[in-house]
Amino acid sequence: MDSPILLLLALLIALIQCFPDDYHSHNSTRHHDYCVLGAGPAGLQMGHFLSKSQRDYIILERNSGPGSFFNIYPRHRKLISINKIYTGRRNREFNLRHDWNSLLSDRPDLLLQRVSRELYPDADSFPRYLSMYVKELGLKVQYGVDIGKIRASESESPRGRGYILTDQRGLDYTCRVLLVSTGLWDPQKVQFEGSDLVEGYESIPVDPEEYKDQAVLILGKGNSAFETAQSILGRASRIHLYSPSPVRLAWQTHYVGDLRAVNNELLDTYQLKSLDGLVEGGLEDIAIVRNGEDEKKRSGRKKKCRSSGKEKRGKLFLTLSELLDSSDGRNSSKVTATNLPVYHNDNFSLRQPYDRVIRCLGFRFNFSIFDGSARPPSSEGARGRLPGVTAWYEGRGTPDLFVLGTAAHSRDYRSSAGGFIHGFRYTVRAVHRVLELRYHSNSWPAIKLSISQLQSWLLRRVNEASGPYQMFGVLGDIILLRGSHCEYLEEFPLQALPQFSSLSGHQLSKHGLLVLVLQYGLNRTDSLGPGRAESEWTRAWRSNFLHPVLYYYDKLPTERDMRHRPVGWPLPRPKAVHHMIEDFLTEWDGPISHSQPLRRFLEHCLHTDLRAFYAESCFRFSLTNQKPPLFCRQGYLRKHGVVRNSQLWQHAHDAGLMPGGQDSASPDTDPSFPDYLTRAGTSVSSAINLDF
Amino acid sequence: MVFQLLWGGNVLKSFDTDTVFDVNAIVSHVLFTVLFDEVRYVHTIAELQSVERAAKGKADIVLGHVQVLGLPEHRALMETAFVYGVKYQFVLTTGGPVLTNMGVEDISSLTAGLWFLHCKGASQSQHSDPCPHTALRRALTTLHIYTFLQLMEAPLVVRSQSEASVEPSEVNMVHSHLQVPLLFLFSQPHTVALDRVTAQTLAWRLRGQVGLVLIHRESPDVKIPLEYNAAYRLPGEGSEVKYLILNNLEEVIDLFRDESTPEEEEDDDNWATLDVLDDEVAESVYRDRGQSLDMDAVTELTADIFHSAVAESDYTVVLFYVKWDAVSMAFMQSYIEVSESLEDADVSDVELAVLDCGEWTDVCSAQKISFFPTVRLYRPQEPSQPYQGMLGTESLNRFIMLSRLVSPVLLSSPDEVTSFLKGDLYQRHAAIAPVTVLGLFSSTADAGVSVFKEAAKALRGETMVGLFADRQAEIWAVEYSVTLPAILVSRGPTGQTEAHSLNLSMPDQLVTHIQRALLDTFPELTVENLPLYLELKKQLLVLFVGEEERGRKENRVLEDMRSLLNTGLINPYLPCWIHLGRTPAGKAVLEAYLGFLPLLPALVVSQLATGGEVFHYPTGRPLMVQPILQWLQRVEDGEEPPTGVIVDEKWMPSMPFYDFLSVMDQEVPGYASQRSAKTKTSRIERAEGEKSSSGERQARAGAHNPQGSPTTKPPQTPHHHSEL
Repeated sequence: MDSPILLLLALLIALIQCFPDDYHSHNSTRHHDYCVLGAGPAGLQMGHFLSKSQRDYIILERNSGPGSFFNIYPRHRKLISINKIYTGRRNREFNLRHDWNSLLSDRPDLLLQRVSRELYPDADSFPRYLSMYVKELGLKVQYGVDIGKIRASESESPRGRGYILTDQRGLDYTCRVLLVSTGLWDPQKVQFEGSDLVEGYESIPVDPEEYKDQAVLILGKGNSAFETAQSILGRASRIHLYSPSPVRLAWQTHYVGDLRAVNNELLDTYQLKSLDGLVEGGLEDIAIVRNGEDEKKRSGRKKKCRSSGKEKRGKLFLTLSELLDSSDGRNSSKVTATNLPVYHNDNFSLRQPYDRVIRCLGFRFNFSIFDGSARPPSSEGARGRLPGVTAWYEGRGTPDLFVLGTAAHSRDYRSSAGGFIHGFRYTVRAVHRVLELRYHSNSWPAIKLSISQLQSWLLRRVNEASGPYQMFGVLGDIILLRGSHCEYLEEFPLQALPQFSSLSGHQLSKHGLLVLVLQYGLNRTDSLGPGRAESEWTRAWRSNFLHPVLYYYDKLPTERDMRHRPVGWPLPRPKAVHHMIEDFLTEWDGPISHSQPLRRFLEHCLHTDLRAFYAESCFRFSLTNQKPPLFCRQGYLRKHGVVRNSQLWQHAHDAGLMPGGQDSASPDTDPSFPDYLTRAGTSVSSAINLDF
Repeated sequence: MVFQLLWGGNVLKSFDTDTVFDVNAIVSHVLFTVLFDEVRYVHTIAELQSVERAAKGKADIVLGHVQVLGLPEHRALMETAFVYGVKYQFVLTTGGPVLTNMGVEDISSLTAGLWFLHCKGASQSQHSDPCPHTALRRALTTLHIYTFLQLMEAPLVVRSQSEASVEPSEVNMVHSHLQVPLLFLFSQPHTVALDRVTAQTLAWRLRGQVGLVLIHRESPDVKIPLEYNAAYRLPGEGSEVKYLILNNLEEVIDLFRDESTPEEEEDDDNWATLDVLDDEVAESVYRDRGQSLDMDAVTELTADIFHSAVAESDYTVVLFYVKWDAVSMAFMQSYIEVSESLEDADVSDVELAVLDCGEWTDVCSAQKISFFPTVRLYRPQEPSQPYQGMLGTESLNRFIMLSRLVSPVLLSSPDEVTSFLKGDLYQRHAAIAPVTVLGLFSSTADAGVSVFKEAAKALRGETMVGLFADRQAEIWAVEYSVTLPAILVSRGPTGQTEAHSLNLSMPDQLVTHIQRALLDTFPELTVENLPLYLELKKQLLVLFVGEEERGRKENRVLEDMRSLLNTGLINPYLPCWIHLGRTPAGKAVLEAYLGFLPLLPALVVSQLATGGEVFHYPTGRPLMVQPILQWLQRVEDGEEPPTGVIVDEKWMPSMPFYDFLSVMDQEVPGYASQRSAKTKTSRIERAEGEKSSSGERQARAGAHNPQGSPTTKPPQTPHHHSEL
């Protein structure tokens, strides 16, 4: 039974290798160039790019609809990703900076705001949005396919090895490239004595009434822990949050995975001493014990009065595993006073018993479906919960297997937005560009620009681009300098810079390259305190808020340079660096604070004068210099010079020569002398120190 | 009177006194020019000496040293240079032997310094002697430099001889305003000469720090205790005069050395906040920021209406711009003017629209806009046509008017052809574009007709193109002795008509061919047309014609030149002329070529494309064919000395950039340095926010301490382990 199928497969693979462009005809036999595993936001995002480039792909989804994670999570049904539909702007790219839920597409209206107008939408709206996304873009999703096993195909071939996926019915899917966007489904658990007495975030009741007058201990201090706490704040008697590290506030760390202010009401009740609290401590060496007999004398009677159906449950105590006497310690009947910390330490913070202990420790990647040959290693970061991937999101040691979406967060865990929709929608695009080069020889899209246009173009990106804005410090624009022109590549994964040429298909010239990155600053000051914002452009490098930074390299940094980069920097020390001063409105278009310093930096990197000149000046330079300035060469000498306003010109002629002082309202009065500067020495033009 | 700014012997800019009649005007003009190239950079003593030699007897030199560019000292220095660039020769050095030369002992410890080299008063004959110099002994701030320069201008020693009733407390001079201490020396009638020498010596030593006043005791109003021979007064309202007895010079010098150092450090920054735009386009747009543009005159497109708008009108001109591009915003003014003038001219089929690419980024991406500003002409059901002319009202207006004409205009009769060539057929257009092109074919069946039509399409908006395909076209072929197919180029009712045989190939080659044919053989070079002629890459034989020369004299000179042209002997040159009245920029060109403004008309050979030398036809020699030809021959043979050179310099950045890396290295050492291999691992872990080591975890495990602060709890509580 098996062998003919295998034979067929082998034959197929052989066929594919011979006729690489011909195998969509074999779709019926479940072979695809690209298998996308999981129809969540990352899978669908990749689906869109594959579909747009007309690739042979299939998205495999075990559930009956897309984004099924969001049918369950977040348990309390409020998305905390911002869905800001009014920005005062109509720039679609800019607006994506404030729309954290929508996926990328070419359709201007295929946004979450069509489904929900709420700033923090109801979780149900997200699968609805995804369904709409699938439908309108006609993505190929196969539902009800539950892949239980993934293995690398044995037959090595010049085109790579390929993967074989087996579903619940034993059907095999073969694919040349596997894109794993399964998300994080397995609740992160910690084993300790009594961990079976703990309820999980995934299964706790969400009706606050269930927690009426209960003391609740929540393990974890992330958003799910606080979300849970927030929902029961009005019912529970006491909520304690316990985990090893202190709370990290997203508004302080700029990391959206840290505690968002949306969920942080408990901080208020904690600090105002209203019976809730946060405690730091390790998880491995604690124990939860239930007091069996003791319960009767202390709270048994009270318990019987309750209407809820948990009358049998005893109270739970937090203790340390070392306080329990060997193996039988955790049996509820045998808990003695000496097993509890309060016996040893009369003001032990968590000495009171709890009605519930809830685990809210997040999720981990499901490694179990991968056969040894196809299993990416555990990440070094993120407590090993995520697969380890290269800077271009290929599994380490699993060529042609890429990890997308939340599961790919190990690259920027706790530093950027790669674990979240508003971040990974861009990394998915970057991965797709890598795929296009590697498997289809289409190099990374690049725009060719005149050098005289570079400054405007940089300002344009800085003022609207959402990718580098969301994926700050991770994705950056690369500008390949080529003398009088340059090539502009968007949103390249910075950590992959040493492999730039092989990943993008573009070569570097001797003129070097610029990298445009948005990044937060040193962040050493109080986020709300005085001096948190800089306004003087010369102090731009001390900007704390997100601001653009340009790095100039004369040659590509090596892996070694990358490894040894300065602490906290996304890139190695460049030849020259330019920080654009942070801006309160994130509008970087001021002539003095933004444009001119940027121009000076570009001039330095390009070794040329980049000023703009009026046609008259170009006329003069063209006749008195063998080579006039770049702006004149790229504009004026191509018959595209900038002629000054004729009305003012005429006006000046009529009135005779009219130097600036007489008619200060219209500076452009004197034709023979462009109105240069009258601000010298006397007035002071900048340094408006706004307090943010 | 003419002010000139010299650099390397070339006049960069000169302006008449009536344009610089007030301080604002001077400052505004000078500031810009200075930014070009007024500040010189020297690295060796020899370089400094050559600057000194050049300046001797003419101007004083301000020599600045900054170890690191981009710091406030550098800025203060440059700002001063903007203001005083015309008065002093500014020289900048970044250290080395030049400093030793200025008497600095420990070069490395001096981060910034400024010296005033008194070259103006120095005699030119003493060639090798360095100019005497005075060092600024305070921090380099704009205020300090300003004060310092003022002091350098003030007389070395002020003598109160003439003003009889002067008491030290009443002396009021520039130094008082500048908050500089004053030193008074009291002179006796019989020691006047000697006292003067003492005062001079002292003044040189204290120059820049202290003002020196020599007071004559003989005046009856001066009531100075006889035992004192000196006094000083510190700056500040009502500060007292202190009398003293001067025994030797060093005493006095020490006195002021102590007094003058600890002074106002707090108001340093008030002056150093000048950020000057040195880009003329950016600056002019910036200065116009108070003015709001009248955007009512143009249609502001959005993504929603873009497609319908360009489909609605017969002609829609769209300006794609971004607000932060100064060139876009400068052009926007002209664009609005064009729109208004079209309205005034009742042109109703053209819509002028603008699209902000900063907001409607999708449209601009879809339209593949990669250059700002971009102007395109849209016609329903036609591919859009880029506007490639000058970004000015006249050019754009011409483009729009000509674009409204079908191209080519199909002419059906010889009469029409005649009237087309005369410019009668399209009078309104002929007025703005007198040069027309007519394609002549013997029959519509000619294969070249379609190629010509293609080319004419491409030239739409640029030139009026007619087409006459008929047997009767032979009439003109005979008249101009060409064979068909041919083109006729008519230069308007007064100009000539030339004929060119057509070598029909590809449309784009034909376009180039026609464009070349349109060029004048003896053009007046203007700001607008110069690029067309520079493309020919020929040496220029330029006649500069003065602004007052109009009418007959001008015509005669030009006629002579034309006859020169007819000799056919000046092929390697492009003969052309520049009217300095219509093209004032030509004046600066002429000055740059020759170093002075010669009598006009002036004939110049400019080897712009070859060699870069400039030759000036001797003033006074008649501008006639033979002498000119002889002179040209001598130029070719290398027998004429060049009067100037066309510089072949790279356009380096006008200003140094602000080096953030060096500032980082200075302010936070190590922040910007690559980490060494050793520190690598631990730091990476920290950077990635890992809580790894189990030791750390254990240490925390016992700390069940919500308050977290050790002060609120007895020290033993955090660790339960210890209590077991």
